[in-house]
Amino acid sequence: MNFDFSAEQIMVQDSVRSYLADAWSMARLRRLIEDDGDGFDAALWDGLAALGLPAILVPEALGGLGLGFVDLALVLEECGRALVPGPLVETMIATDAIVRFGTEAQRLALLPGIAAGRLRVVPAIVESGDAPLATPLAGGWSLSGHRMLVPWAAQADKLLVAVRFAADAAAGLVIVDPQQAGVSLRAETLFDPTARAFDVSFDRVVFGAAEVLGGGPSAAAVERIGDAGAVAAAAQMCGIAARMLDLAVAYACQRVQFGRPIGAFQAIKHRCADMLVQLESGRTAAYFATWALASAAPEAVRAVSMAKAYCGDASRFICNETIQIHGGVGFAWELDLHLYLRRAKTLEYSYGDATAHRERLLGAVLAGREAA
Amino acid sequence: MDFHYSAEDERFRQDARGWITANLPPGWGRDVHEPEDEHARYMGRLAWEKKLYHGGWAGLAWPREYGGQGATLVQQAILAEELARAGAPEGLNIIGRNLTAPTLMHHGTEAQRRRFLPKILSCEEVWCQGFSEPNAGSDLAALRTTAIRDGDHFVVNGQKTWTSFAQYAQWCFMLVRTDPAAPRHKGISFLLVDMRTPGITVRPLRQISGESEFNETFLDNVRVPAENLVGALNGGWAIAMTTLTYERGPEDALARQIRFSRDLDRLLDVARTQRRHGAPAIDDPVLRQKLAGAVIEVEIMRLNCLRSFSRLLQGKPLGPEASFQKLYWSHMAQRLYETALETLGATAPLAAGDPATPAGGLFQTGFLQSRAFTIYSGTSEIQRNIIAERVLGMPK
Repeated sequence: MNFDFSAEQIMVQDSVRSYLADAWSMARLRRLIEDDGDGFDAALWDGLAALGLPAILVPEALGGLGLGFVDLALVLEECGRALVPGPLVETMIATDAIVRFGTEAQRLALLPGIAAGRLRVVPAIVESGDAPLATPLAGGWSLSGHRMLVPWAAQADKLLVAVRFAADAAAGLVIVDPQQAGVSLRAETLFDPTARAFDVSFDRVVFGAAEVLGGGPSAAAVERIGDAGAVAAAAQMCGIAARMLDLAVAYACQRVQFGRPIGAFQAIKHRCADMLVQLESGRTAAYFATWALASAAPEAVRAVSMAKAYCGDASRFICNETIQIHGGVGFAWELDLHLYLRRAKTLEYSYGDATAHRERLLGAVLAGREAA
Repeated sequence: MDFHYSAEDERFRQDARGWITANLPPGWGRDVHEPEDEHARYMGRLAWEKKLYHGGWAGLAWPREYGGQGATLVQQAILAEELARAGAPEGLNIIGRNLTAPTLMHHGTEAQRRRFLPKILSCEEVWCQGFSEPNAGSDLAALRTTAIRDGDHFVVNGQKTWTSFAQYAQWCFMLVRTDPAAPRHKGISFLLVDMRTPGITVRPLRQISGESEFNETFLDNVRVPAENLVGALNGGWAIAMTTLTYERGPEDALARQIRFSRDLDRLLDVARTQRRHGAPAIDDPVLRQKLAGAVIEVEIMRLNCLRSFSRLLQGKPLGPEASFQKLYWSHMAQRLYETALETLGATAPLAAGDPATPAGGLFQTGFLQSRAFTIYSGTSEIQRNIIAERVLGMPK
């Protein structure tokens, strides 16, 4: 029983934080807003790849670091704190699914490239009402339908598409090349202008068993990628919320009204204390969820949904209150607050929102009681 | 990070479970419950606590020289979980174990530790806490109870209030003013007072729950031996801060979490049997959201405690973050009991004693008790000041 990160895990966090402090800035991030191009910052990607981030989950034999989700927790928090744009975290989420469910050939084909920072893979799993359906074909399937909010699809080498298989009504993840015939991308207009996402349509895209992650339909793989995404979102929200609280406290200590720093007023300082309580409780839940995912603990479903629900609410509270504490300037475009707010809001609704996760958790708890 | 238990810890859990099963009355929690009568209930708790002591389960993580078992904090947490699983009663000497003991371990003399600690564990001596006064609540340093040196004694005069379990306590640790001329925080001392000393009058106060856990304590020329001073004369404020840190800390919180967890479990049962809009209450989607929220918050409370334990195990001191624990759980518990009453719905106005009330009025009592959580051992407003000023570094 130990709730602490190891010295190595904290060292990795420090190295990511200091790299981002030197090589990355909000000014660089803001360029992505004006950028009409693909929004992809190749230098940042290369730098983070050189630090080994995409290699964390890849087994050592395939050129990775052979670590697990717990080792990712603090890295994800730093990515949130610095608003690192995709598709780094999305690739990590996909990597987790490939490591766990990929066939030997799929692991060999994808993981060394991911570890080296050469290959970007993103999940395409958001429900859109016209979910991709695979109908059997001689020697494989034909895929039609679409997925929305596929993060950084144009910059990705592969998509992991959640698919329904018509024949046996099973679900699975299919590896699709976004350049493949029959795949078309429409860039979506997003609430977070520093992100990129696409509506991806599949029109009779042909694939075989070799492209199905694990070689055949697997509902577990679909659930796992959603869970990994939810925990990654929870950890990033903690990072953003921590940054927002820092900004709120710093501003409250420096802004003078009525002849005193506003942070001396209990209306402000008490709010900051409440923000800290929610931030730390969110971290508790998120860290525990990374462990539950890493160790495939029986309570993983509950741990994941607990983290995503609690961190979503906490991040909402902390981001909103930070803007309130800043007063008028909190509403100014030139301040960075809204960039944190927009990213946090996006994460809040990604991989299941708090309401959905609360319902899922209660279902799991009640089912567990029935069984007991 | 690893939430698996070692083989040794698992063996410990089995031992604890076996012992608890063998020592609770048969049918405990199902057809045998704690007595309704408050006095009988407290006497039952004291008897149970003594039984735990004789079974070797008291002071698990305390050093052996003071009567402890030299076990780990993790094992202490496991025992707490197993007690909860069995629905075992709480103890009565909570203040002795959780407050007096750590305070003396930090600030007491060796003689004081050897004198007092073993009898806390054996429950031969139950403790109460003499901090608050009628005019010193959140502003604790305004306290006026005086202690004047007279030979090898202090003579104590004044009044303490909200003194929980004073009617059952043999001892009280007390903050007293020993230098009225000094600045407020620098004229306070920390005394150990035998409650059987002449001049002490205890008068129970009735709480909104109808119970009388707490009291007014009047002190009229009470003579306290000078050897019962803890720490330096006029150095009591810093010692009180240690005490308060433990009062708000993870060990106290974990024991409470277990009670909340047990009540929540009961609540989920009740939600299946209660009806609402012609269907089981558990099918109501709005209520489901609240129940799920309660499950999440109660579980995070447990994990917050474990996170603090990890810090302690690494030898990091428990500091002002203790306020964070207390602020979290007190508000969480209030939401829990509000949700419980919502689950009872139309039957919420029935109270303990009415045969038709679900769960025997447990949630109505819990709701009333929960109103005190954000007030005692430092109001939420005080905890927020501590967090803002001492953790976040905001101006006074």
